[in-house]
Amino acid sequence: MNRLPLHQELYLIAHDDDGKALIQRPSLRLGLAGAVLLDLTLSGRLSVTQGQLAVYDRTPIGDTVADSLIPAILNDRANRDLKIWIKQIAEDIYDRTCGSLIAAGVLTKVNKRRLGMLAQTRYQPVNTTAAVRARAGVRAAADRREEPDAHCAALCGLVGVLHLESVLYIDQPSSQLIGRLRTIAGEYSRSVQEIVATVDLLIGEAAVAVYR
Amino acid sequence: MQPQETVERFGYRQELRRGIGLADMVFYGLIFMVPIAPFAIFGEVYRVSKGMPALAYLIGMVALLFTAASYAQMVRAFPLSGSVYSYAGRGIAPPVGFMTGWAILLDYILAPTLLYLMASIAMNATVPAVPVWIWLIIFVIVNTVINLRGIRMTVSLTKMMIVVELVVLALFIMVGLWAITQGKGHGFSLDPLFNSDRFSMSLVFGAVSFAVLSFLGFDGISMLAEESKGGSTQVAKAMRLALLLAGVLFITQVWVAALLVPDPAALLSGEDNGTAFYDIAAIAGGDWLSNLTSVATAVSWGLANTLVAQVGVSRLLYAMARDRQLPAFLAKISVKHSVPANATLFVAALSVVLGVWMANIEDGANLLVSLISMGALIAFIVLHVSVIVHYLVRQRSTDLWSHLVMPLIGMAILIYVVINASILAQWLGLIWLGIGALILVILYAMGRRPNLSGFAQQGSTPTS
Repeated sequence: MNRLPLHQELYLIAHDDDGKALIQRPSLRLGLAGAVLLDLTLSGRLSVTQGQLAVYDRTPIGDTVADSLIPAILNDRANRDLKIWIKQIAEDIYDRTCGSLIAAGVLTKVNKRRLGMLAQTRYQPVNTTAAVRARAGVRAAADRREEPDAHCAALCGLVGVLHLESVLYIDQPSSQLIGRLRTIAGEYSRSVQEIVATVDLLIGEAAVAVYR
Repeated sequence: MQPQETVERFGYRQELRRGIGLADMVFYGLIFMVPIAPFAIFGEVYRVSKGMPALAYLIGMVALLFTAASYAQMVRAFPLSGSVYSYAGRGIAPPVGFMTGWAILLDYILAPTLLYLMASIAMNATVPAVPVWIWLIIFVIVNTVINLRGIRMTVSLTKMMIVVELVVLALFIMVGLWAITQGKGHGFSLDPLFNSDRFSMSLVFGAVSFAVLSFLGFDGISMLAEESKGGSTQVAKAMRLALLLAGVLFITQVWVAALLVPDPAALLSGEDNGTAFYDIAAIAGGDWLSNLTSVATAVSWGLANTLVAQVGVSRLLYAMARDRQLPAFLAKISVKHSVPANATLFVAALSVVLGVWMANIEDGANLLVSLISMGALIAFIVLHVSVIVHYLVRQRSTDLWSHLVMPLIGMAILIYVVINASILAQWLGLIWLGIGALILVILYAMGRRPNLSGFAQQGSTPTS
């Protein structure tokens, strides 16, 4: 089975089996936006140096969400700032990632009624395989059972900054585990480090924003 | 070049979506200032101004219009969503920024305590069976839960709150004027604005230090600088408009209230003046108006204003802690709820301890008012200095009116207000600054020189 893109794996990690988000949308959106940029970076289409994006290769990587970004970045010549792009991507990334997972048959739409009255729509995993697989890689890297590759290391970094460590079920204090996850990401390329650090910074700024 | 295009010069980018218009910025400033703020402190302002509260508010408004002009200059120079902390740090030097941030922290960190206390006093006036300290704990718990759940002001909620407050204010003014025409009170007079028998410069400026409190929060508009549709020009205009609007509303309501004071001599002597406004409302319209004004005060101070004040203090604590000028735990946020959890809990704990303490000591609320005003006044004085240093000394500006005369006038008024503030407030303000200076020395000794995020010093790279 082919590996899912980072943003899709992160989406699955950040939701429970009922499709309920484990963290608030403002933080999750920023994490997903960082994940799309990491997908492009790890596939050699993009690099980040001192907060500036540079496109190296416009060949599609086979992910509709990530592939739509390259022309958008190339068209906006004046704006190559990583922070601005993460914020721009974050505006609709949640819905786009969810849509791409539905299109891939990983999620399915479920209509429910809360307390038998209030209509509620959830997007639940068709089965738990994809989510378990995504979590397993991060867990193995955090447990030091496997040497992570760049994809897994980037995912570790995002799981760390989004404080999603509880889904790994590792018997370690949270702060220690988050530190370990961030260290794993920090051992990889400069671009990965910069994107993860910028997501972390923007999550902090979003938390103290005047208006959401 | 448009002012907003200059963000990049300071290692920053225009990051937030520019989506907030002039009206929404003015509404934000008003909700921060609370259009019915004088309801809660009318008795004390009346006492210290010797029955001229309208004059105290008028001078306060004029003084702060000069401060708004200096804010406008600094927002234009550094179009960032910051506070006086970042403007002084960038306009003069990072250590000055730290000391200014430390001074304004006195305002920001104590503001929630005062808001809770005033709201509790207002609720106690309506439901006397429940003591002030219990109301205070209820307000702190409710607000902390709201804040920790990530619920905060939205543009539409701000508008709704403002409309409700203005309706209550309009009701009070209409009923108050009707009561005066019916022979209640002392009839129309100019005394609340100017009474030659009681007037003295030092007395009125002493009262201004109190009245200034009601205007605090207009500076919160600068936090929206990066989201402003019209850039720094719109921020400046919004500050001026919000101040003028608030000033007109404050002067009108205290004027009407002053004309209805049942026993001016007793109020001037300072006997139990915490509920003076609600007592006046009862005389003008009956118990329903008294209850309406006290509940409106409780809701606007205890809920609406604390929501925005909490954002203000969290941003300042977060910014200073992220710059390693305050303990790192204050910069820690809850990703799950997207809130600055530690800063919120810290302010809640401080508010309970200080609030209950102040509720049980004589003149506790007035002491808080003095301290908050003192912190803000000191920070605003430094803001004026920042304009002079940045434009005149560094940029060699030839616009002497905007970059020298205006800041000097604003500074002179504020210094005069500080000189005439209560001695206790002056001492406590000095002690607070002394502690700040000590921390600054310790930071230097530990090799942690104050350095603002994105602030590029010569020969160094911007820090994140």
